[in-house]
Amino acid sequence: MNDIEIDSVTRRFEDTIAVDNVSINVARGEVFGLLGPNGAGKSTLTKMLCGMINPTSGAIKVGGYSIQDNLMKVKEIIGVVPQDIVLYDYLNAHENLAFFGKLYGLSGDKLRNRIREVLDFTQLGEKAVKRRISTYSGGMKRRINIAVALLHKPQVLLLDEPTAGLDPKNKLALWEIIQTLHEEGRTIMLTTHMMDEAEELCNQVAIMNKGRVIALGSPRQLIKKVKMGNTITVVPNKMTPQLIEAMRKFSRVERSYKVYDENEKRETLKIITERAEDILPDVVSTISSMGTKILSVELSRVTLEDVFILLTGRSLREEEEQS
Amino acid sequence: MKLKRTMHQVFAIARTDFLGIARNKTAIFFTLLFPLFFLIIIGFTFGTQSTSETSRVHIGIVNFDGEMINVNGTISENSTIGDAFVQNLKDANFTVYEYSAYGDKNTNGTAAYDISRRQIKIAVVIPSNFTEALSYQYTNISGMPIPTKASLELYTDPSDPTGSIIAQQSILGFILEFIKHYQEIAINQLPSGFQEYAAVLADPITVLTSEADVSGRQLRWIDYMVPGSLGLVLLWSGLNHASVAIAGERTKGTFQRMVIAPVSPMTVLVGKVISCLIIVYLSATIMLAAGILIFQVNLYWNIPVIALAIFLGAISAIGLGLIISSISKNVEAADAITILISVPLQFFIGAFFPLSIMPEPAQIFGEALPFTKLVYAMQSIMTKNLPFEAVVPEFLYMSISGLILFALGIIAYQLSLKRL
Repeated sequence: MNDIEIDSVTRRFEDTIAVDNVSINVARGEVFGLLGPNGAGKSTLTKMLCGMINPTSGAIKVGGYSIQDNLMKVKEIIGVVPQDIVLYDYLNAHENLAFFGKLYGLSGDKLRNRIREVLDFTQLGEKAVKRRISTYSGGMKRRINIAVALLHKPQVLLLDEPTAGLDPKNKLALWEIIQTLHEEGRTIMLTTHMMDEAEELCNQVAIMNKGRVIALGSPRQLIKKVKMGNTITVVPNKMTPQLIEAMRKFSRVERSYKVYDENEKRETLKIITERAEDILPDVVSTISSMGTKILSVELSRVTLEDVFILLTGRSLREEEEQS
Repeated sequence: MKLKRTMHQVFAIARTDFLGIARNKTAIFFTLLFPLFFLIIIGFTFGTQSTSETSRVHIGIVNFDGEMINVNGTISENSTIGDAFVQNLKDANFTVYEYSAYGDKNTNGTAAYDISRRQIKIAVVIPSNFTEALSYQYTNISGMPIPTKASLELYTDPSDPTGSIIAQQSILGFILEFIKHYQEIAINQLPSGFQEYAAVLADPITVLTSEADVSGRQLRWIDYMVPGSLGLVLLWSGLNHASVAIAGERTKGTFQRMVIAPVSPMTVLVGKVISCLIIVYLSATIMLAAGILIFQVNLYWNIPVIALAIFLGAISAIGLGLIISSISKNVEAADAITILISVPLQFFIGAFFPLSIMPEPAQIFGEALPFTKLVYAMQSIMTKNLPFEAVVPEFLYMSISGLILFALGIIAYQLSLKRL
């Protein structure tokens, strides 16, 4: 059974087509990743899924209910976690949860029990719950932001960049929460910029570009689809356009590009190839012959990020920086 | 069941909205306490002054009466009437400063110096022959009195025309009374039989001025200002809060989160309106309580009619606020538009300054505002103790304008939902 059925959906804004004939099905209990650069149509699609805007054409069903015909029912079974922290900072965690719980029709003991359950789930301490949200750290706010969406036990969860801006420790903690929700059988649609997140959490991903779905499948299937096995990551002492161009002249190199490595704090050169071990000696000697010193070389399998770059021509990190 | 759920949602929205004000010191000040702050400042400046109060008129007196002068070849130093004039000024509660010379603006200790420094509003110079002239001491060779006028000189501050006119009018009124008193004494000294003719000839017209009894009580300006300040409450608490109610939620993203929930947009609106009404009534209560506790206002309390008038006025303010809130891109824009509207508007609603002193176009504009109608209705009911029938036109006007503005507010709100 599919919990989300998006059938030939198009959404126009005057002359612009934000979503162009998109069809996606998400099975019950699946974690589905929605990837794409800015302006790809992810936000518009998410807004249509939660009934904030209507499609120009096509049909959307959530939990078997049409958003056009039975929006209130859809709203009752869907939980939305926005990218930004959308909470009242002058209320404490308990008050925020009570407010949103009442909007979902919870009251009395039922509301109190659910608040206790979601607070246990987010693992916030007793003292923290009574403090105003404005005093919380980014990670604590994110957890309450998710807890709000879980209050009414939604079957379908829409998570928009749930770990954006979090440090690695908090990010891992939230991944655990998402995995637990998945194990509980909830259907999750996850919009993310982080390829490692999509690879780690998602059963299926769709890559969107310019309003269209350009790739759809499991992360493993998408990686297989590009028919490239490895990525050579070179950290040179200086990055030049000539260096990137020289790599493209090798046969069997699908693509070479530079990315900023957060860990190394410098630009690195990535080369996607079918067989890394065949061209590695030539890569090293070419870089050396151009007067560039190699600080490190690493071989790895092709990741979802590489697939994304091959399909869209841009890295999601570039998108993030630009936005 | 559905109604119960909707009521829960409405009250949850209203409560959360109200806490947004109650837990924010800046918002408390601007929404609830700013009108009170304004009332206290204006109230203490002008409000407790009654129409007959003269102590605020600061007068400089240069009394030359009593200086040596030659009268009929004899030296005279009589200062009786000049001194009586000064004493009567003091008795009439004017604030009197005495100088030995009028002087000039550069000579410290003179009246002219203090006028230029705004220490006094007016200087009165009493001539040296004041007593002699008024007591008929100038005579001809045959001993008959020569009619001689005593001449007082008044100097006012041209840099403050309004203050000078008030001071001048007060002094002229005093002089008129003083002359009358003097004439009565002079006439009494005439042989009986001439006195009645002389009295009519000396004072052929008598004008009596007094304030109409509109209240049945002794009124001060503050007794009009406190009910009038309820108009200010509508602008600062009603309009101000309603204008940021939706825009603020939209900027924070909480509005989007609310409409994602199974809540109809009208439920959100009703919650917001209830919160706005609570804030308006709370602010009105604070204003009226301040009027009683700080200024000891003397008002009539027809609570149901007062509450109804505030409600009708608030609907106009909230409607206007909803329009601003819905068309504004964010809360900052809504704030800016509200200040642009409410700050000038407070001077046109007749709360503190009467519309009658304004130019005609401003009067027409002010009269068209529903907030002005509230001020008139409140002053009629609370100050003048008029019956409800007397304010029906104001209530009708507020009802119609409230309906129109609120309907426009709902339309603007519905349109804003498309911009989510």
